[in-house]
Amino acid sequence: MKDILIVARRECGAYFQTPIAWIFIALQIAILSFFFFLYSPFFIIESADMRVWFGLMPFTLMVFAPAVTMRLWSEELRTGSTEVLLSLPVKVVNLVIGKWLASVVVLLASVICSLGIPATISYLAASPIDWGPIIGGYIGTVLAGMMFLALGCWVSALSRNQVVSLLVGVTAGIVLVLALSPDFASFISGTNETLARIVESLGVQSHFRSIERGVLAISDVVYFLSGSCFFLALTVFQVELKKQ
Amino acid sequence: MSEESSGALANNAPPASPRTTVIEASQLSRSFGETKAAQDVSFEVCRGEILGFLGPNGAGKSTTLRMITGLLAADRGSAKICGIDVATHPIEAKKKFGYLPESIPLYEEMEVIDYLRFIGSARGIAKAVLEKSIDRIAMRLGLVSMLRRRCGTLSKGFRQRVGLAQALIHDPEVVILDEPTNGLDPRQIIEVRSLIRELATDCAVIFSTHILQEIAAICTRIIVIHSGHLIADGTPDELAGDSSEDWQVVTSGSGVDPEQCPGLQLAPGVEGSTGETVHRWLGESAPDLGDLSIQIYRSGSRLLHVGRSRETLEQVYLRLTGGERVQA
Repeated sequence: MKDILIVARRECGAYFQTPIAWIFIALQIAILSFFFFLYSPFFIIESADMRVWFGLMPFTLMVFAPAVTMRLWSEELRTGSTEVLLSLPVKVVNLVIGKWLASVVVLLASVICSLGIPATISYLAASPIDWGPIIGGYIGTVLAGMMFLALGCWVSALSRNQVVSLLVGVTAGIVLVLALSPDFASFISGTNETLARIVESLGVQSHFRSIERGVLAISDVVYFLSGSCFFLALTVFQVELKKQ
Repeated sequence: MSEESSGALANNAPPASPRTTVIEASQLSRSFGETKAAQDVSFEVCRGEILGFLGPNGAGKSTTLRMITGLLAADRGSAKICGIDVATHPIEAKKKFGYLPESIPLYEEMEVIDYLRFIGSARGIAKAVLEKSIDRIAMRLGLVSMLRRRCGTLSKGFRQRVGLAQALIHDPEVVILDEPTNGLDPRQIIEVRSLIRELATDCAVIFSTHILQEIAAICTRIIVIHSGHLIADGTPDELAGDSSEDWQVVTSGSGVDPEQCPGLQLAPGVEGSTGETVHRWLGESAPDLGDLSIQIYRSGSRLLHVGRSRETLEQVYLRLTGGERVQA
């Protein structure tokens, strides 16, 4: 655990001592706010909730998570600093978790910075707002973000080129969000019901939507946590593979 | 690969005495596809030794060093550091050595002091001891004024020193350096050589280089690797001493004229810069020192030295590696 925190602290320094984390946070909130306030029926229907905000979240995460994680391993592989890192008496699994944890801190900072939005809505709303879906939405954001960041970690360990890592990460995110979406599942359900069920259960949206409604089902939490563990395990495997 | 922490292992390891073997490489072999990068490389290094790893590009030096550090898995064979197998107990083995890669990769955005804190913490140095360790290593390497500088702004020489500092911060028993003086100016090279000599009083130093002057200046032992094979292992004197069957006779002044002394079996001499003349002995067996001394004295000269002819380190290297050029 101590090793994980040492690695995470170094990576947090790399994020927050440079503009990387701040740019990520500002861009994510700016883009979400733009679509939420200007392109959604938020002001038209005078609805004091954040469903549109959280509905956009999987789409923003599939782009921004690989942008945050692309440097984690690609940069180390490019500069050769993995040589020093892997010569330290630290298990590879602890290195991987430490780096991933730092990216989760960036995500949490982004979530904290966006808390002004529900606070403003609550202040402006004529009647008390329903906090359940908002809290559920934030829990879903963190859980889905953790999985996307773990996916980004793995992709980052595949290539020493950060741009390649970003593009492959976004592509993998598109598969998880769009290709394995409930819409696609209903499209193929006429021809293959079993495949449609598998597609829906593997996709992010079906699990995120129920959390976003304020329903915290164990199966959805398990989906995001096991997804995170799966991609972190792939990262460990990929880093170990460098020794072979 | 098992990476379980085995504290007992370290505790049970015998304390290192001055001549304790600290590196044992046994039949290390590694292939990349059809290319055999290292084949049955075996050697041992004792505490106090400075071992130079010499060989042309692509000979297998880095592959062998990487297998010793556990950064690369061996196809066959084993490497032990302080008696701990690198493949089966990598975490314990990694505590025993410090490693400086050739490219000196530093985290550009970090201040030197934060970088050393990170490395020291990851190496398990207690917080209370860590600051003292950083002060000590910074003093030793002349880094005190650079501690608050970002790594990305350092000159090549200071980057090298920071790289050395991270390799030495935990007082390792084995120091593995890949081309440690690469890119340094002459003054910095002398400083690093001096540091390596100092280090060897407490630990074993193993380093790879292309520079023969480096090897001659500081190594107590040399290993030559060529085409993945270990082809020579010995002290600089041993390698040069084993290099020829020819005998040399060194005389004072302008030496002996062989035509006037036909019984001497000496080839015409070559005058050296120190007022001596070196003759090659033409006899089939070793010269008789008594006869030789008397006859040379009668010819008006004096016998100074008789011995096997010695090649320079560069000649030895070229002969062993089939004439491949190196930087001398």
